[in-house]
Amino acid sequence: MRKPTCIFLLFLCMISVAGCATPPKLTDKEAYNEYLAENDPLEPLNRSVFAFNSVLDKTILQPAARTYRDQVPLWFRKRIGSAIDNLRAPVIFVNDVFQGEIDRALTTLVRFTVNSTFGLGGMNDLAAELGLEKHDEDFGQTLAIWGSESGPYLVLPILGSSNPRDAVGRVVDFLVDPFNAWAANTGRDELTYARTGVAALHARAGILDLTDDLEKNSVDLYAALRSIYRQSRANAISNGNVPGPDVSSAPVDFPDFTDSKEISGKP
Amino acid sequence: MKRLFCTLIAVVFFAYAPGAHAGELEDGASAFIRALEKEAIASLTDSEKPRPERVEAFRKLFEEKFAVEAIGRWVLGRNWRRASEDEQREFLELFEDLMVVMYVDRFENYAGEKLNIVKTSPVDENRATVHTEIQRPEGVDGKPISVLWRVGRQGDIYKVLDVVVEGASMSITLQKEFASIVKNTGSVAGLITELRKKTSELNPS
Repeated sequence: MRKPTCIFLLFLCMISVAGCATPPKLTDKEAYNEYLAENDPLEPLNRSVFAFNSVLDKTILQPAARTYRDQVPLWFRKRIGSAIDNLRAPVIFVNDVFQGEIDRALTTLVRFTVNSTFGLGGMNDLAAELGLEKHDEDFGQTLAIWGSESGPYLVLPILGSSNPRDAVGRVVDFLVDPFNAWAANTGRDELTYARTGVAALHARAGILDLTDDLEKNSVDLYAALRSIYRQSRANAISNGNVPGPDVSSAPVDFPDFTDSKEISGKP
Repeated sequence: MKRLFCTLIAVVFFAYAPGAHAGELEDGASAFIRALEKEAIASLTDSEKPRPERVEAFRKLFEEKFAVEAIGRWVLGRNWRRASEDEQREFLELFEDLMVVMYVDRFENYAGEKLNIVKTSPVDENRATVHTEIQRPEGVDGKPISVLWRVGRQGDIYKVLDVVVEGASMSITLQKEFASIVKNTGSVAGLITELRKKTSELNPS
């Protein structure tokens, strides 16, 4: 327990140093509404944790992920990815059930059975070839389905973008996971660490293109990632059924294409 | 009786007419995205020309196919109204520069991958969403990347209003970014300074 305690203490120090954002004056109604919509009262603290995470990412995780992507053959990485996904199946199954998605729960169950046996310990995603595509669920999404609000945006040390709801979700998912329970009960904690490490490496390697693009092009990376985290969580919670974010929020009142002179004037 | 009959015909006509238009909108929108993909890749992979020329060719295409000014205006949101006319003009110029560089990168990265149109769904009578998938050998978790194109129509002209990659909208993300910079620098002028820095960093010339 020593390491988590240290991290927690570090976290507390950062809170006291960085403090909270000052909300704008109530008299500026628009600015105040924007502040509420941003839902990031801990922004200064979050930004310092984000800076800390970025250094870790740049110095350790990213180089490792690049080496992994460029040196390990694709077929082998696919096996690793499938095995990681397969280990996660029990947690996905539990959350499918909690969300009342019985069809999806059955899919997960059959996938786990087929892939663990004929798929050689999950290294081959045979079920997907049979038309049972994988999907993901977690307890953060389950809480959202149950009606829980996300709460303010949080950047967790090492773990990155989150919010109270998803943070609780992570803990619950960890506790329900039979693999972790088995490892802990048989004194094989190192297996849990190894699994977490490999999963993080594999996941990081999978999004290198997207993050490279963002790091290069964004003007405020913190704000971009905050928005993307929220949008992709909303998308995951709705199981992708809502076509991305709220359609009505995309440019609605597009001005006349044909008369571009009009636009440069004051509306 | 005759009047009722006429009303009935009118009702039936108006009930069906938008349906027919919607189908036309969907076909038009997906054909538009198909053409955009082809032209963008053609303009960027023309090995005869040096890169700056290719980027310029792409800029022309981009101005023609993306509702740059509408997006820029929307992305600046409530700060558009607070900006002076000069600021608005400079913002739009820098915004276009930024978008061009961003999309040059993206189209170049994805050139050679297959863009599959999955389906097209209408949003309203003049807007539609074209659902596409890009199959990459790597992909995110080996799954194809989902890209939605929000397309607007005016007469015969179609333009891209937004691009949604894996559930994250470009316009919404940029709007949040810009709002954050305006908040932290205190003004639209601050945002323009940042954008100037970014575009010259991305486009060393």
